[in-house]
Amino acid sequence: MAGKSSTYSLKKQHRLKKPLFKDLVDWVRPDTRGFHQCRPAFLRTGAVNAASGSAYVEFGSTKVIVSVFGPRESKKAMLYSDIGRLNCNVSYTTFATSIRGQGSDHKEYSSMLHKALEGAVMLESFPKTTVDVFALVLESGGSDLPVVISCASLALADAGIMMYDLVTSVSVSCLGKNLVLDPITEEESYQDGSLMITSMPSRNEVTQLTLTGEWSTPKIHEMARVITTTRWLRPYCDYIEDEGHLRSTCFKLHPELRPKNGRGKPRIAAISEVPFSSGEGGA
Amino acid sequence: MRFFKKTTWAPSLRRLSGLRREEKQEDIMGLTDASGDLAGEMEVDAFRRLFPLRFYERHLLESIRPDARPLGKARDTTMALGAVASADGSALVKIGHTTMLAAIKMEVMTPASESPGEGCIAIDFHMPPICSPLIRPGRPAEAAPVLSKQLTDIILSSEMVDLKELCLIPGKAAWMAYLDIYCLDADGALFDAALLSAVAAFSHLCIPAVSVNDEGRVFAISEEQIEGKSLKEPLNKGKRKLTLSCTPLALTCILHKKYILADPTAEEESIMETLATVVLDMSGRLVSFYKPGGTFLAYTSAVQDCISLTRQRVKELQEILTEAIADLELD
Amino acid sequence: MVGLSGGEKHYIQGGIAQDLRTDGRTRLAYRQISVQTGVIPQANGSARVKLGGTDVIASVKAELGKPNYLYPDKGKVAIYVDCSPTAAPMFEGRGGEEFSAELSLALQRCFLGGKSGAGAGINLSSLIVMEGKMCWDLYIDGLVISSDGNLLDALGAAIKAALSNTGIPKVNVAVGASADEEPEVDISDEEFLQFDTSGVPVIVTLTKVGRHYIADATSEEESQMSSALSISVNRHGHICGLTKRGGAGLDPSVILDMISVAKHVSEQLIAKLDSEISAAEVEAE
Repeated sequence: MAGKSSTYSLKKQHRLKKPLFKDLVDWVRPDTRGFHQCRPAFLRTGAVNAASGSAYVEFGSTKVIVSVFGPRESKKAMLYSDIGRLNCNVSYTTFATSIRGQGSDHKEYSSMLHKALEGAVMLESFPKTTVDVFALVLESGGSDLPVVISCASLALADAGIMMYDLVTSVSVSCLGKNLVLDPITEEESYQDGSLMITSMPSRNEVTQLTLTGEWSTPKIHEMARVITTTRWLRPYCDYIEDEGHLRSTCFKLHPELRPKNGRGKPRIAAISEVPFSSGEGGA
Repeated sequence: MRFFKKTTWAPSLRRLSGLRREEKQEDIMGLTDASGDLAGEMEVDAFRRLFPLRFYERHLLESIRPDARPLGKARDTTMALGAVASADGSALVKIGHTTMLAAIKMEVMTPASESPGEGCIAIDFHMPPICSPLIRPGRPAEAAPVLSKQLTDIILSSEMVDLKELCLIPGKAAWMAYLDIYCLDADGALFDAALLSAVAAFSHLCIPAVSVNDEGRVFAISEEQIEGKSLKEPLNKGKRKLTLSCTPLALTCILHKKYILADPTAEEESIMETLATVVLDMSGRLVSFYKPGGTFLAYTSAVQDCISLTRQRVKELQEILTEAIADLELD
Repeated sequence: MVGLSGGEKHYIQGGIAQDLRTDGRTRLAYRQISVQTGVIPQANGSARVKLGGTDVIASVKAELGKPNYLYPDKGKVAIYVDCSPTAAPMFEGRGGEEFSAELSLALQRCFLGGKSGAGAGINLSSLIVMEGKMCWDLYIDGLVISSDGNLLDALGAAIKAALSNTGIPKVNVAVGASADEEPEVDISDEEFLQFDTSGVPVIVTLTKVGRHYIADATSEEESQMSSALSISVNRHGHICGLTKRGGAGLDPSVILDMISVAKHVSEQLIAKLDSEISAAEVEAE
């Protein structure tokens, strides 16, 4: 029945006005945030009971659920491998976008998610097996991929998969003269350039980085500053009031936790204690 | 097995091992008396995995289920309307761990020539790979199309939504309501949760205000435009909420020997395979009864018991639904 | 995948550490580039680029289409790459598909700029025939014939050469057509418009092996990489796109350092490529 009659979705009569911020230096973002401010966020692990680990993350109106299954037996056709495999899949619901979509798999995001995570997961800890990371975008409100990546790293930690560090991700859009953090769909559709960075904050390492649009050298340096000073990318300890670790793993508070044989020992990220401060990510 | 302390279990396990000695004809995996003793010391979790049916039958004897429910009781049910802002109507429903997200998107179509005064509803049920370890991407779940069909049949045949209300201009334009239900967590009784979420999404649905241009194409108008009266009267003024009558609601039961287990979990469904689903509408009329085969044949008395359990459950669900709608209006 | 013995691996890594690679190059030197244009007569523009043992073809096909309603004043460009299964064993079966998709994505990111079209190597506004009604759709197809590492740089160079070889037929729109009707057009067979390719960037991939990074890695060297950055740089030294490959993480300061090195390398590459392209054009005529 649905197939026979062709339907069309309602287009807004007035198309989005050409934004006036292009040439202005001070304008207000559509959701009245500061330029270097993230949207209010909500993160929770253990969203799906049937999975080995899962997480639900909401950034503004972007809502994502990620389930992790395994480690489980690799497909029969796979060759022997002495390290584990990571299998990632990202899909959208049919109602995620403003125009009803097909809800199919997003191949591009699936491969980007894989690349963002493979550097952080200790693949050698589950040889011959596969860990499946499946993401479903319930609602798309901009910066979808960074939210999926952050959510997937929470889900992996929830599943007890060994990781060097949690992976956090954020994107920045270049609009005219301004750089805006964590853009929404409307801002993304008018951006002159964009940058997505995925990092392991405690190790200060970038696992994935993509950049589009034309960027001059000073702009790249400004971007680097915006991103690295964003507070929520890094864990924060309120005991000694410093970044880089959490109160629960603060060595001053818990000297017994201090590693005995040097540094650089990988740890399983303690996920339930990841703090996030909504909208606090200003420079 | 957080619910029972292991110490309290020790005596009953010993009784279980005695039970096994009497039922040697059912010896699984060539177990001998020695293994019976082994079961006496076996951890509860291990016992549950190795002999799931015995584990359940021991519980059923005591009229209780492993999650501490009495046999006829459904799991806790919660509902949130308006979970997805990008849809015209949406609802998130949780029955125990089973989670369903239903959303409706309205699009415009030319009505079919045989029913020029009616709109249309297209219902699709999805099981994305996140909901269960059994589903992999690219290989759709077998259960999904079956449930889609069942939901379509019941929602259309119960006449919950009057399709005439979905008409905009007879013969020219009508609404096509795309209802998509996503299972986010599969833990049994999928149909009950899916139907409840569908009903909830319809009761949350707010049809966009539209007007029609000279070419006969329908377009959306915003709230300010309605109030500012800059345009002509919206086409569907006062018809933006659907009147839902005879809402159907469902309860799935497991029939196992003489027991009836309401609202089964995924584990229960996999162990005891005979299911029966009853759908009643709000006034208690039977919309559908579905018992797809299974090893146990039901007596009519069992069927009647299922129906009376459903009747109670429908009352509960009705209250939850009214409460959710009231909360929404309060906001 | 290249199967290497422990000794060979050590030899490659040691050479890179001492700034003398197995084929005698220094760390930031490119292999010999040769460019041949107009290799596919049916296409509007084409070029074949050989970079050492890596051999790729790029072709440009222009078709008339309708602009996206969000951007009525812009044409559309699509970039796809196909890896021939004969080029390398890893391209057989699904591995090839995935790798092709990855290359296509990286090239799109490097050449197409932001969503608003700013920073695009190809000026999308020049592709418009009639605003909101008709535009040129460019289909850029890359084909990998033989692979010996550094495919992205080779494909980027081939696309740049193919674009400068491209002639788009001049279109005359019939005057007097009203706004609602489909415009009538007359496609000229003789007059061609040349592309302005001065803004098209080149791609420089820096592959990190051990503590050092090298330009234009061979596939043997790529098998030893921990991560790689592909940076596209235009004539003005602006970054037009960036993609990271490989699993290992990078320190942010290393990334900034790699970007400035890539800019330096790109100047030489652009100069070299320009002279090769103009030489090839002369030869073709």
